[in-house]
Amino acid sequence: MTEHATRHTPPEGPPGDGDVLLVTDLSRRFGDLIAVDGVSFRVGRGETYGLLGPNGAGKTTTISMVAGLIEADAGTVTVKGHRMGPARVEPKRHIGLVPQELAIYPELTARENLTFFGRLQGMSGTTLASRVEDVLDVIGLSDRAKDPTKEFSGGMKRRLNIGIGLLHEPELLILDEPTVGVDPQSRNSILESVESLSTAGMAVLYTTHYMEEAERLCDRIGIIDSGLLQAEGTRDELIRLTGDVDHIRLDGSGDTVAAEAALLALPAVEQVDRERHTLHLAVHDAPTAIAEIVTEATSAGMRLNDVQITRPNLESVFLRLTGKALRD
Amino acid sequence: MRPVITVAATELRRFLRDRSNIFFVFIFPLLLVLVLGSQFGGSGSSGRVSIAGESGPLEQAISAQLTDAGITVDTGGHDEVLDRVSRGRTDVGLFIPAGANAAYGSDEPVRLEVVPGSQSNAIAVQQQVRGAVGALDLDRARVRALVAEGGDRGVDASTARTALAAVDAQVTPPSLRIEDVDEIAQEFSGLGRFDLGASSQLLLFVFLISLAGSTTLIQARRLGIIARALSTPVSTGQVLLGEAAGRWAIAVFQGAYIMIATALLFGVRWGDPFLSGLVLLVFGAVSAGAAMLLGALMDNEAAASGVGIGIGLVLAGLGGGMVPLEIFTDTLRTVAHVTPHAWAYDAFAAIQRHHASLVDILPELGVLAAMALVLLALGTWALRRSVARAM
Repeated sequence: MTEHATRHTPPEGPPGDGDVLLVTDLSRRFGDLIAVDGVSFRVGRGETYGLLGPNGAGKTTTISMVAGLIEADAGTVTVKGHRMGPARVEPKRHIGLVPQELAIYPELTARENLTFFGRLQGMSGTTLASRVEDVLDVIGLSDRAKDPTKEFSGGMKRRLNIGIGLLHEPELLILDEPTVGVDPQSRNSILESVESLSTAGMAVLYTTHYMEEAERLCDRIGIIDSGLLQAEGTRDELIRLTGDVDHIRLDGSGDTVAAEAALLALPAVEQVDRERHTLHLAVHDAPTAIAEIVTEATSAGMRLNDVQITRPNLESVFLRLTGKALRD
Repeated sequence: MRPVITVAATELRRFLRDRSNIFFVFIFPLLLVLVLGSQFGGSGSSGRVSIAGESGPLEQAISAQLTDAGITVDTGGHDEVLDRVSRGRTDVGLFIPAGANAAYGSDEPVRLEVVPGSQSNAIAVQQQVRGAVGALDLDRARVRALVAEGGDRGVDASTARTALAAVDAQVTPPSLRIEDVDEIAQEFSGLGRFDLGASSQLLLFVFLISLAGSTTLIQARRLGIIARALSTPVSTGQVLLGEAAGRWAIAVFQGAYIMIATALLFGVRWGDPFLSGLVLLVFGAVSAGAAMLLGALMDNEAAASGVGIGIGLVLAGLGGGMVPLEIFTDTLRTVAHVTPHAWAYDAFAAIQRHHASLVDILPELGVLAAMALVLLALGTWALRRSVARAM
């Protein structure tokens, strides 16, 4: 993993032992439109990597090249050391694709859909039957296994859509906006599933335009816009990259002047502005520093009535990097 | 090969799972065969005569004569028989007036009414009726002559009839064979009532159902199922071949169903089952190729269904799937052979009517195979393009 968030630079060196996916300088053009422009990143075992960007940013095109559905104009995708491409079969054994569309047959039952894709994955016999039942259990559809999927709710279809990607226990799970159009309950269930898969050691490539999902799920995030990977890193690294700091607002009474002076002396506090009985602090890593700040302010004679913490999020990072809002 | 079979079997399963297909695939074709056979089909005998009026020795004697001549005879009420004649369900209506049987028994003149139908062989059957009645008349004349000549020696009518029967048994009476020299009548002679309609409906429905089924291909593309299949460890060729094989399986299933059901329910004779099956397999491949092409070129399922049904009906109408090719003009019949239906029609006709061998139908099979190859190649190429475009 990178130590710090970086403006996009290709991963260096050969795939490491922990790398399940290595993407290097990937580009794809459709006519005059450059859909993906020199994108590079890597995903390790047990890591969830998020591609965060608005609609049309190039996420799905990137995913299509990673899954070997379309050929890249330039650059390479390597899965478990195997070069990926539409005509290459071996690397596809290691991936499970969960497309944005509900890619399931409406006339077939949940079990028949799973069996169909299991056979395409090369599974058969009792192994396939057993895995189908396991997956039905995991996605909570065992009791609806015999029903045609056209009778399913949107959330159930989404779960089945994900279950198909898990059937053959891939080492890399690729999820393309899996929560689009899903009710909050099903959405939470999907996010919990992804978290548990990652914990179990699966590498996950997750695209979304929901900032909250990226913040909750992803160990590292690549911010993509107009086909370019603008930056990547952990959430905190990305925020630091933009120079944004956390803000703490202290409301109270007593000796706010002394409190202001005391707080400014703390290493985590970058700046303090006083406005009558309120102090506005610019702070590095507010969750860690808050206890010390409250103690110091109280010791200086300030009686606190209210404390509010505001942290910069990926929305503000995206705005800073691209000049536009994430949902534009 | 396993991925190909998996995709193909799934396509067939989806086809069978669609409840709207129950009527159009299983019931409608048989209904049409039944209706067409009832309305226009031949009986397989030398003709049909319906007798109305007074029953008795005369009616029985005429029936026996006609049956001996290979005519199918049935009876009914006056209006019923007239209705059968007007609808073409019988070739000739014969009406026996009240008192005719008594007159016949007492050797008095009898006047019968005959109403021929409008179909081509009605005149020939009418002639058969005349022959049968004439034979009865001759028989009576012979008995009268013997009684008149031998009355003095105690020969009565009963003795005369017994003696004549003994004589008839020792000689081969001259037979009258009426042969319809009309080309169309000759072509259809010997065909069962449902035979012609069954093969025509097979061609119509195999092609129609295949084209209408192209919508499932569009759906699989639109839903991203084909794209998802391509992310599994199978080649693009295997997935596309599976889609083509699926459409072929649907076409062959529809045709085999019509063949077996009409043979069992209506006694349709399909000739050599191997050859008929071979024609179905090759025609099914043409239909599958056309369905692949339509499903790849169109993006809207409703529009594809409409276009598919339209094309299917037009080609069937032009190619003998609705009206027998034999009644077409020579020019139109030549034009008809731009359709695969016409070639398959010819092959079925040769097998069913002329007991053709494999060598006899090789030209038809060759043309159909060439059409299938071209359409399957075009359809697969177009599908590959449309799938790539969608990703």
